[in-house]
Amino acid sequence: MLSKPGAGAAKVVAATEYELMAKVLLIEDDSETAEEIAAELADRGFEVEWAANGIEGLDKARSLRPDAMIVDRLLPGMDGLTVIEALRKDQVRTPVLVLSALGAVDDRVRGLRMGGDDYLTKPFAIVELVARIEALLRRPAESRETTLRVGPLELDLIERTAKRGDRVIDLLPREFRLLEYMMQRSDQLLTRAMLLEEVWNYKFVPATNLVDVHMGRLRHKVDGPDDVPMIHNVRGAGFILRTGP
Amino acid sequence: MRQPQFIRSNTFHWALAVAAVFAAFVVVLFGFIYWKIDDYLTARSDRVITVEVDGIAGLSPERRFEAIEEKLRQDPRGVQLAATFAADGHRITGNVEGLPPHLRIDGPAQGVDIIRADQNTRKPQTVRAIARRMRNGDVLVLGRNVDEAGEISHVVGQALALGLLPGLLLCLLAGAWLSVRAQKRVEEVNQRVQRIIAGDLRERLPHRNVDEPFSKLAVIVNGMLDEMETLIHALAGVGNDIAHDLRTPLTRARLTLERGRTNATTLEQLQTAADKAIAGIDQSLSIITALLRLAEIENSRRSAGFGSVPLHELLREVCDIYEPIAENKSINLRAEVKHRLNVRGDRDLLFEAVANLVDNAIKFTPEGGSVSIELLRSDGEITVRVTDTGCGISEHEREAVLRRFYRSDKIRNTPGVGLGLNLVAAIVKLHGFRLAIHPGPGGQVEIVCPGSQQA
Repeated sequence: MLSKPGAGAAKVVAATEYELMAKVLLIEDDSETAEEIAAELADRGFEVEWAANGIEGLDKARSLRPDAMIVDRLLPGMDGLTVIEALRKDQVRTPVLVLSALGAVDDRVRGLRMGGDDYLTKPFAIVELVARIEALLRRPAESRETTLRVGPLELDLIERTAKRGDRVIDLLPREFRLLEYMMQRSDQLLTRAMLLEEVWNYKFVPATNLVDVHMGRLRHKVDGPDDVPMIHNVRGAGFILRTGP
Repeated sequence: MRQPQFIRSNTFHWALAVAAVFAAFVVVLFGFIYWKIDDYLTARSDRVITVEVDGIAGLSPERRFEAIEEKLRQDPRGVQLAATFAADGHRITGNVEGLPPHLRIDGPAQGVDIIRADQNTRKPQTVRAIARRMRNGDVLVLGRNVDEAGEISHVVGQALALGLLPGLLLCLLAGAWLSVRAQKRVEEVNQRVQRIIAGDLRERLPHRNVDEPFSKLAVIVNGMLDEMETLIHALAGVGNDIAHDLRTPLTRARLTLERGRTNATTLEQLQTAADKAIAGIDQSLSIITALLRLAEIENSRRSAGFGSVPLHELLREVCDIYEPIAENKSINLRAEVKHRLNVRGDRDLLFEAVANLVDNAIKFTPEGGSVSIELLRSDGEITVRVTDTGCGISEHEREAVLRRFYRSDKIRNTPGVGLGLNLVAAIVKLHGFRLAIHPGPGGQVEIVCPGSQQA
């Protein structure tokens, strides 16, 4: 598996803390992959149901009412995207993470992303999968709040200003967008790929480590020399914004 | 019985059709000639008899009889007709039996049926005739047999028929010959093509002189085969490159795992080994991802999703994103965008192309250098130019950088997959733009959008 040991140690986002036994339905025909995914999710406190083909998956999705689904795109019987379309027709709005060995540029995938679902290309790191499932489970609610607050951090979405305690933080527009995204998902592991897709709107992986450089600058501004750090680098996985140590 | 193959061939059918058209043409031609000759002869007879009738009518009655006798004597072929009739209608002199009932007196020359008095047959003949009433009440009739028109037509018809037969035969023979020849060439080509399909890439189609269509086609196909042979060889080379580039990190990963498994005594040591191995595998994966993406772009025909892309905004955005990275390397990155220019294209792909160029430029520029992104317009062309103060791309490397996995020896140790410029080239090609790489000092790469692609 692609899971990195560092990620295992930094099990900061144990699902149990936030979603009591969130139920995840996994539709994947390769039993070995399914086993590994299920084991990892179970370790993180998820309740995992497994279906080996599209038709069984559709049945379980209807009867078990999972909180989130992981669906392989190529399935025997009924392909993954068709399963999702069938569910959506029944007004089942369960968030879905689609796994696929196919590239992610066609229109159906674009449609998925627009609908709030996510798409992950095989092979993937297991931390990436877990981070995306977490993100799907905790999609920020449509909020009318014009000020975001995480601990001492305050972001005014109207005035476009940021403060940490009394200290005003001077942010460039892109840094503002990055911090806004992170504050909406505080205490969540955000992988580089997620940040690239959501904040920079990148549809490809750039050669240079763009995210790290930008995050470095933001961290420099947010976490002053005497402050308790809030932006944390999770080795080999991504970044997390939280108030605790 | 099975027909010979040439009879079923298209060429032969064409020859048959041509022969049929030719025959029809000859028949029509014959009809036309007959009609024209008949017309001409009739007109001439009419003219002659009209002149004569006026001449003879002007003579005294005695001289008139003499002139008629004389005229008939001097006509051994018997085509002339002449007679005078008394007012009561009985014949006074001449070789016409009776006054033809339909002949209009004092009218113009006309076609009329008469019975001759000087021949045994009582069968009426169709002739051209004219009649005049004399001052003494007699009627003078002059006429001329125009049967010779029929005779001439007969001769002409015979000549044409004689020409038609060999003509048709020639057509069929030529058709058969051409179709047999074409079939032979096709068979010959087929044999060669079968050999090419079987894997002999050096085989070419036969061709003689260049002006013949078949040879021209063969030359064109041979050109295509040349190109394909080059491509296939290049592909084989790429395959080797891919294998090499994938093997290197995989070998490293394997060695690390093997050594870690044997030598690690603590969990931490094992984890370090696993981390290194994962990094190696990730590098192999990123190569595969880049290759797949390249194939995706190269094979995609999607211009349907094209829209108007504001290049000025796009360049500013790329500059904005890469600015911190350049600053980390103490490189001065700036975008010089004076115009607002749009092109037709896929925004994401164009962004990726420009980002790749800037990424490369920053990577290959030493600390303290500068990179500039310019948006220019000249001669109806829009140019995105990325200039850097790095090592540049020399003349002889220009082709090579567009080869997959090419890494200049100068930059062997810079990390990267070596597919960046390929991606740019593929994106540029998809848009119908042009990629221009200028030789040093410093690097300069341009994406040129011709006027037709602007929006």
